[in-house]
Formats: sequence, structure tokens, C-alpha cells
Amino acid sequence: MIVLLAVTIGLSTIIVFPSFSEAESELKTFVTHSGKVIRTTGEVIDPLYTVSEVEFDPMEYLREFNYGKVSKLEDGTTVREYTIIAEDDKVMEVSPGVFYNVWTYNGTVPGPTIRATEGDLLKINFINNGSKEHTIHFHGIHPAEMDGVFEIVGPGGGKFVYEFEAGPVGVHPYHCHVMPLEEHIVHGLYGVFIVDPKEGREPADEMVMVLNGLDTDFDTENNFYAANTIPFYYQHHPIQINTNELIRVYVVNMVEFDPINNFHLHGNLYTYYPTGTDLVPSFYTDMITLSQTERGIMEFEYTYPGKYLFHAHKVEFSEKGWVGMFLVNDNANSDESSVKYGS
Amino acid sequence: MAASDTSKFKVAASGVIPFAFVIVLMLYIFGPGGDLLDFGIALPEITIEKVDFIDSEIQATVRNTGSIPVQVVVADVNDRIQPAAVEPDGYLERYETTLVRIPFEWNEAEPYRIGITIDDGTRFEKEIESAAFALEFTLDLAIFFAIIGTYVGIIPVMIGLLWLPFIKKISKQKYHFFLALTAGLLLFLAIDSIEESIEVSNENLANSFNGALLVSTVVVLSFLALYYVGNKIISKSDSLHFSKPVAIGLMISIGIGLHNFGEGLAIGAAVGIGSIAFSTFLIVGFALHNTTEGIAIAAPMSRGKLMIGKLAIMGLIAGSPAIFGAWIGGFAYSPFTSVVFLAIGAGAIFQVILVLLKWIQKENDGNLSTLSVVSGFAIGMLVMYFTSIFV
Repeated sequence: MIVLLAVTIGLSTIIVFPSFSEAESELKTFVTHSGKVIRTTGEVIDPLYTVSEVEFDPMEYLREFNYGKVSKLEDGTTVREYTIIAEDDKVMEVSPGVFYNVWTYNGTVPGPTIRATEGDLLKINFINNGSKEHTIHFHGIHPAEMDGVFEIVGPGGGKFVYEFEAGPVGVHPYHCHVMPLEEHIVHGLYGVFIVDPKEGREPADEMVMVLNGLDTDFDTENNFYAANTIPFYYQHHPIQINTNELIRVYVVNMVEFDPINNFHLHGNLYTYYPTGTDLVPSFYTDMITLSQTERGIMEFEYTYPGKYLFHAHKVEFSEKGWVGMFLVNDNANSDESSVKYGS
Repeated sequence: MAASDTSKFKVAASGVIPFAFVIVLMLYIFGPGGDLLDFGIALPEITIEKVDFIDSEIQATVRNTGSIPVQVVVADVNDRIQPAAVEPDGYLERYETTLVRIPFEWNEAEPYRIGITIDDGTRFEKEIESAAFALEFTLDLAIFFAIIGTYVGIIPVMIGLLWLPFIKKISKQKYHFFLALTAGLLLFLAIDSIEESIEVSNENLANSFNGALLVSTVVVLSFLALYYVGNKIISKSDSLHFSKPVAIGLMISIGIGLHNFGEGLAIGAAVGIGSIAFSTFLIVGFALHNTTEGIAIAAPMSRGKLMIGKLAIMGLIAGSPAIFGAWIGGFAYSPFTSVVFLAIGAGAIFQVILVLLKWIQKENDGNLSTLSVVSGFAIGMLVMYFTSIFV
């Protein structure tokens, strides 16, 4: 009896009481957004306020546009040639400590933002270096055989050249269209395709925000949401903009599993051009709701400097990463307003 | 000399050689270069074993219950990501635990789902039905639990013991009826303990603990240990100045005591997790139920001399563990220890049933199939079943 009891108590002690690994003895303090102060000798896990060190740089992606290799036809038509390579073996740290297998176009999620002017001739050299079949399906107007649905491109170096005329004007998504479609999209095979009007748009500080989600445990529910893939990224890296400068955001909803997503701007309202195909805005609002692959162009200016949030007003999404901040600097004469896009 | 050395060596060698082959076999299967058992991918698994609500903070105790190391990287409350501290750190080897401290202004009596995500992105969750302050040890609360334990454990058992003079006066047949009744009561308690321990392990322990097998192993081990010790006590009862009925009574008291310890754990844990209504229910139910345990002790002892002192000690042995159980359940609840103690209780009771049946058999000239025995056993089970409905 005594032996039994001793053995039981011994075993329980070993199993029940934590066999702590080597503790860090340094006392750290962190303050949460509710103002609560936590002192700990342990480790702080905090995707909200810890700067994530990820391979993909959402700040660089934000204002990067790929105009392709430009040449002219004899009739004066501009030809733009792009190369897009699909891969599906990359494991990327998407949030501090979370490693997820992303499927990529040119190594990033989202893929490169392809930009052209209405009427340009586009040649997209697609190479599939992945281990599965992939394609590129562009939203927009093009011949049936350029649709990237039935023209499956095989793995291990399969090639296809998509050729079509850029149009219509606006912001469109492109994505892989191989079944099971949801799987290919949620792993990251999508990007943005912008078609500028021939006459151009008003000069502005332009940026692309792809609203997306990551289902890291494959239960067909998103574990993380973001603008441009990395949860909370623009919260701890606020996007720097200037007062009285036109800001133009190309926003594309690529979230899967959830029926809607949305975009709410703080301290301001924006004019909104659904799909960007009409040059006259449809709304003046601080909140739009987007279904899957719905997209549009938002334009606004801040009068007052300071920090302003933008986030999904579907609060679940913002509390799981789809939240960011504009840091509006009081800068009357900014250089960026002279940047001309679409060149 | 030399010859006997050689033969000893041969004996030793014949024992060791097969063992050496076992080692070679294991090395072949699991050793370096052994790719025979390389099936697929080991999946990581963690279990959130315990969630405590304290002042503006939720604390989750997380154990790595999978076969590969994991890193705890994200904490959430109701599926909303929250900053948190992990003490001592988030890296967990197999079976290692860590404490995740989530600053959170939680509301009393509301349900919460606490989620932990590990490095491969898999999220694990535990649901708490009703948030309540984790019990902190105070003298007042300790006294409160002691009083509850007394009400649930000691007093009902003592009341049950009051039937002793009655049992003493009845005929041999009726006496056997009461002994069998006791065995029936106890069998019910043992099954109840096993059910409870399997339930606790299913709800709170990871699959890797093999809940049902853990319970059966502990039941059998505690049965064997008590069987051995019990026989020692009974066989030495003369030299220890115990009468045999007292020895049996003592064994029953120990068995019931272990069971009541489990009941105390249940009450303490219920108070601890804030289900006040449920804990009140448990207290009333167990108190009613436990008077029958007094009969179980009184029945065999009625054949000895009436010794108030010894009887009171038996009552304490059987009843007071409820107090210790309530303390542990309330202040230091651990699902693993609960499972183990409940299983020990069941094993102890099985041993007592065996002793009782042997005792009846001996008293009854080797016959166990008389009407009084069979009906006593059946009624014992039924009485327990009906009183258990109140719990």
C-alpha cells in the first residue's frame, strides 16, 4: 500500500508538475492595448505588437507595380511582357513563429501587381515550377483560350504564354484556376492586375491592399486575416502618408471561407469606385463590404496629421490580423504627389 | 567451486543472451539507419489541461501531448488573438508543460473558449462553461472546505454507523442480507468511481495518456496492493489485538475513504470552476448517498464487540478524506491526479467487496447463493442507484 502510494505520488508529481525547461531569468514588462501591464520572466508571444520578421515585405509590396518589359509594335501599340513563375513548396513565417506552406507567383503572396494601360498588348510568360498543376486566370476581357481554366500547365517547368489586350480599365484579381480551386487560392496563388485609363488618373500616392486570410490548420476556417498577407503588419509598421495628399488604394478581397470582408477607414471618408471601371465614384463612405474577389479603388485625403486605423469592421477579422494604421505626416510639400503612375 | 561458478555463469548467460537479442532487434527497428518504421508524419498535439481566471488575466496550462516538440506561438480568447506571456517559454518537449498568461478583462459567469496555436499553425481549444475567479488559498476557504467535507463525508458515515445496534440484534439471515447489501453498495461505488475517472480523463487528459488503460492499470494495482496488505491485516488481526470483524471494517473504511476522497475532489473542483449550483447539488447528493456507506462499515463490525471508539475512528477514516479531497480539488486541481485517485478508490473497493464476499461465504458455510445474499446485493445496488439520482 505504502509502496503503491509512493509510486503513484512520485509518478503524479513527475507528470503533473511542470518539468520546466531552462527558464530565462530576465524580467520583461509588456503593456497590452487595454493598458494592462504584465511582468514576466517568460517569453512574450504577441503578433499584435511584436514586429514579425518575415521574408515577405508587405511594405515593399504595398507600392510596387510591375509594368513589364516594354516594347512597341509598328502600329504604335505598347507591348508589355511579364514572367510569372509558380511554386508550391515554400514554407514562410507568416506571423511570429507560425510557419505555413505558401504557394506563390514569383515567390510572394500575393503575386506581383501587374500594371498596364488600356489597349496595351500583354504577354505573360507563365512557368510552373511547382509540384502540382497551376494556371493563371485573369479577370477581365480576353479570348477563351487565354482564360487559364482549361489550359492546365503541368508541374516541373510547364509553360504557357497568356496574350491579350489590357482591359477593361480598373483593378482586377488574377489567380490560379486549378481544382480544387479553394485550396489553390487559399494557399496564395493570386495577385492584382491594374488597367489604367489611357488618359491616366490624377496623381496620387498609390497603394495596393489585398485582403486575404490564412487557414493554417486546414479546417476551412481562416486562422489569420490580413491586408497583404502578414497579420497586424501595418499596425506595427504604420503606412506613412502626408496631409492634403491624394491617397489611392486599390483594394481587392481574396479572402476564402467567409462570405464577406470589409474596409473601414478612421477619421475620414473615401470616394469609392467599385471595380474601378467607372471613372465616376459610386459612394462617399468610410465603410465598404466586399464579397470574394470584389474590388475597387478608394480615394481620400487627410487634413489632420496623426495616427488613423483602418480595418475590417467584421471585427473578428481585424482581431485576427486584418488591421493597420496610417501615420499621417504634416507635410505640405510632398514629393510623392508628383509621382506619375502608369508610365 | 570452479564447476559451480561455471554453471552460475551459464545460468546468467542463458538469461542474458535472449535479452541481448531483444536489444539487437530494437536497434534494428528503431536505431540509426533503421527505416523499417518510417511511416508518414508525426502530428504535433498539445492539450490545454487547465484554465484559471484571475484578476484581469486568464492563465492556461498547456502540455505537449504529441510525440514531437512544439512551440506555442499564439494565444486567443474566443478565437480573437491576444498578446500573452508564456512562462517559462513556448518550446515544449514531449509531456512538458508551460503557463500561458493572457491579459484579458473577462466577465464572471460567461463562457470562454481559450485557443493556443503552435508553430505549424494548428490551433487547439478548450471551452470553459462559466468563468469564475480561481480559488486562492485562504484560511477561511480552507475552513469552508473542511466544513463541507465534514458534512459530506464524516457526518453521513457516522449517521450510517448508528444502524449498528439494529444490525447487531437481527438474525443471521438478515445479517447476511446486510453484508450482501454492503457489497452491493460498494460495487456501485466502484463502478461509479471508474465511470467518473474515465469521464475526467476523456474531458481533460490527452489521448496519449490512454485514459481507460490508465484507469484499469491503477484499479488493478491498487486492488492487488490492498489485497496483499488487507490479508496481512486480517491474518495478523489477533496479534494486533483486532478482531476479524474490526479488520474487515477497517478495510472497508479505507476503501470508502479513498472513494470519498474522490467525492471531495469533485466538490472542490466544482466550487473551483465556479459552478455553484452544481457544487450544492453534489454536496446534498453525496451527503445523502454516504449514509449508506456507514451501513457498509457497521454491518461486518456488528459481529464484534461494540466499541464506540473504534467505530468513530472507522467513521473518520471513511469520511475525513472528503475534506482532503475538497482541499486538493479546490486549490490544486489536476485532472491527472483526480483520475488516479478515483481509480485507486475503485481498486480499493473491489478488494473490500472480495473480502466481504469471502466473509459471507465463510459465515454462510460456503454458500453465496441464498436469497438473503442475492437480494441484499441487488437491493444494495438499487439503493445506491436511486440515491445517486439526487447527485
